[in-house]
Amino acid sequence: MPVSIHSKPGRRAVIVAGSRTPFHRAFSKLLKLDAVDLGAAAVKGLLDNTGLDKSEVDSIVWGGVILPSSGPNVGRELGLQLGLPPSIEAMTVTRACASGLQAVTLAAAAIERGEADVVIAGGGDSTSNAEVKMGQRFVHAFAPVALGKRMGPSDWMNVASQLMPISEVLPQQPKVAERSTGELMGEAAEKMAKRNGITRESQDQLAVASHRKAVAAMEAGHLGPEICPVELPNGDLVSTDGLLRPDTSVEKLARLRPVFDRKNGSLTAGNSTALTDGAGAVLLMSEEKAKALGYTPLAAFRSWSYVGVDPADQLLIAPAIAMPRALERAGMELSDIDLVDMHEAFAAQVLCVLQALASDGWARHRLDRDRAVGEVDMARFNVLGGSLALGHPFAATGARMVTTMARHLHRTGMQTALLGICAAGGLGAAAVLEAV
Amino acid sequence: MSDYLVDLGANRTARNLVRTLGLPLPLPQKLERGKGPLSARPVEGKTVWVGLVGAADATVQAALAASIPALGASVALLGPGFDPQPWNEAGEGFGRPVDRKDLPADDDKGHALVFDATGARTVADLKALYNLGHNSVRKLARCARIVVVGRPPESMGTPAEVAVQRSLTGFAKALAKELGAKGITSNVLEVAVGAEDRLGGPLAFLLSKRSAFVTGQTLAVDARVDGTPGAWSARPLDGKVALVTGAARGIGKATAKRLAEEGAKVLVLDRPADAGPLGEVARSVGGVAVAADITDDGAAAAILEAAGEGGLDIVVHNAGVTRDKTLGRMDDARWDLVMAVNLQAIFTIEAALAEAGAVNRGGRTIVMSSIAGIAGNMGQSNYAASKAALVGWVDAMGAERASEGIGVNAIAPGFIETRLTDAIPVATREGARRLSALSQGGMPVDIAEAVVFLASNAALGVTGRTLRVCGGNFIGA
Repeated sequence: MPVSIHSKPGRRAVIVAGSRTPFHRAFSKLLKLDAVDLGAAAVKGLLDNTGLDKSEVDSIVWGGVILPSSGPNVGRELGLQLGLPPSIEAMTVTRACASGLQAVTLAAAAIERGEADVVIAGGGDSTSNAEVKMGQRFVHAFAPVALGKRMGPSDWMNVASQLMPISEVLPQQPKVAERSTGELMGEAAEKMAKRNGITRESQDQLAVASHRKAVAAMEAGHLGPEICPVELPNGDLVSTDGLLRPDTSVEKLARLRPVFDRKNGSLTAGNSTALTDGAGAVLLMSEEKAKALGYTPLAAFRSWSYVGVDPADQLLIAPAIAMPRALERAGMELSDIDLVDMHEAFAAQVLCVLQALASDGWARHRLDRDRAVGEVDMARFNVLGGSLALGHPFAATGARMVTTMARHLHRTGMQTALLGICAAGGLGAAAVLEAV
Repeated sequence: MSDYLVDLGANRTARNLVRTLGLPLPLPQKLERGKGPLSARPVEGKTVWVGLVGAADATVQAALAASIPALGASVALLGPGFDPQPWNEAGEGFGRPVDRKDLPADDDKGHALVFDATGARTVADLKALYNLGHNSVRKLARCARIVVVGRPPESMGTPAEVAVQRSLTGFAKALAKELGAKGITSNVLEVAVGAEDRLGGPLAFLLSKRSAFVTGQTLAVDARVDGTPGAWSARPLDGKVALVTGAARGIGKATAKRLAEEGAKVLVLDRPADAGPLGEVARSVGGVAVAADITDDGAAAAILEAAGEGGLDIVVHNAGVTRDKTLGRMDDARWDLVMAVNLQAIFTIEAALAEAGAVNRGGRTIVMSSIAGIAGNMGQSNYAASKAALVGWVDAMGAERASEGIGVNAIAPGFIETRLTDAIPVATREGARRLSALSQGGMPVDIAEAVVFLASNAALGVTGRTLRVCGGNFIGA
């Protein structure tokens, strides 16, 4: 039954602050920083901004998608790297692009269960540092060498004989593909666009709107305070985002060539998110603790929901189930919601989800509802821009959205925000934030 | 167990050669068969054309709309008369917007043509069968499906209406024969008033690759069996316990494998003399071997013991024997053995299972009848009698057990490529293979797929029926 603040009277977890690194296109400015470095930078920014006494922190819950094999518990590694007290325990969770939100809601759950009072949660990824792997065949062939066997000529011949065909032993480039279907995520989104009749023009319009709103928010100073500067190994400081295009337009985007289906496709580099490096962190406390330490709570979770659909069908449609579930658990309808913030993996994917939410047919066949969840009022949608404009370092996105919406609720006096995130594997995540 | 003409036809060069030389050889289409466990969306990405014959019936239309897009198909509604709302809603629900057009375009390829003829009442109504069919059948892909949905003729009001509904069977059977060379199947579903919500399962089976060898058949769907209709799903037999007799080889073995793949725990039974191969089947399906002779007094007890307290959900009486001789030359032993194995053993075991209450609510019983039982066969008076008896038995048992939620059905295999049919003399075997709409023999898995369908909740609307899995065999059709 509902995982909601109302189903468990008692402690409430509140969001106190959030901070993120600048987001940059993969293989650009943040190239030299791996997931641990980026996470450490975001957490350091959070601690610096809030002036929190480190000894108050109980734990770190971190999210990551491309976990470094040398230290997959990124949460722990970044804490040690920052010199935080070793008593701050840490874990790292992975739920594809919903990993960041997963970390934040896990932290809220732990606080509400009374397991912790102060938790730093968030996530981040360095797509620049995705590990290039040798094929399993190569690894297996060289197993005797790796195991220290004394190698004779015939052993080497044996190893060599297993290295054909050469294409199977070359290093494998990492790619954003589904393990179960082998489909690239962009191909899946392309398929969804075709099936749901999403036009190229509407995708480009959504992308341009995302850039316009993000640029406006940045200029108005709404987003700046969330971004903490990051120091590069050479001493340079990176303090602003790198993906925003203030000068983009529907006409410019219309000139781009489709990427995933070159002949009949509609998804381009302009209406799909770029591979991005970055990290984001959120500070959560129990309401009492926040009061005791003198912090002003920004928002709290009223509910959340994680769902899965068959990745072979519509890979990225699950938010259209998760968002209504989260609303239901919050005891609310879409019309009760002031702000809707959706992760924009692809403009096409967002438009498919919005179309499903507005459909009576979707409601009847997929949600056990008689009527559509509703048309999302575009004046309330991604008001400060989205992943298309800002970028999408996989596990950082959830933390970014929670931070941005919590701050926006607090600043404007609005009451509620509905978050929606699609994720690889056919997963969907959603949450309802309310002002405190 | 291979059919050289099917193999020849699958080879492009050979096929062209035969055509060019005008050789009088039929080149049967290699049938597309499903592999492994059932898919939740068996017609993923395929185009299904739906046409109306007579007035639209809202409940039938709602049932069709709720099932076809959910199976992964893109629907195009052909011609006038539709209420688009349920179709549009389903299209949105499954991300497959429904198309509307008068007729398929020249370059369209359809995977299936579904006629909703439940509203057909007059001779004039039937003209839509011609119009839609005439303009579509040549645009159907190889191994496509034709399904005509009608009402049970006997439920109609006037003799003319009975006749109009009855005409659907002749129409579908004719198409089965016309299009069989392309591997296309054509069948009728007669859905009773009030059973529309049970139509989706049989329709999904007929549209899927699992029914590759079912053609020219009429299957009735009614609401007699107590139960809750559900959507077509993957792994429909999860948590079920199944018994398959005669499971050491052939059809029984294929059936045990398929039931296990769909999640059932399978008790495989065969004669103690076949304990070796039986044990192998049990191991390969992760099931339990029961070495028993079904004509022995202890057989029922052995089954009950193997089933344990959880009882059985699926009982497949597959074991059977032939002892062929023309009646004048037939000795007592041949008659007696065939009756004992094919008939009396089933009665005895069923009685013991019923007395022990061993078949659970929602259970399914499936027996193997035969084309020989429907048509009779030279030298098989004993076998034909026993197999015809089963047609009657499921009819009576289906009615009797419906209130317990138990469905009872028979499958009548046509020519199936097995060890037994391999032993038939070449000329006879060739005749048996080719005298069917699909011009080829079936595979044991074709029977197994029909068993899986009848064993699942998808067949909730099917009871007391004999489903022919015969490739449209000309005999007794």
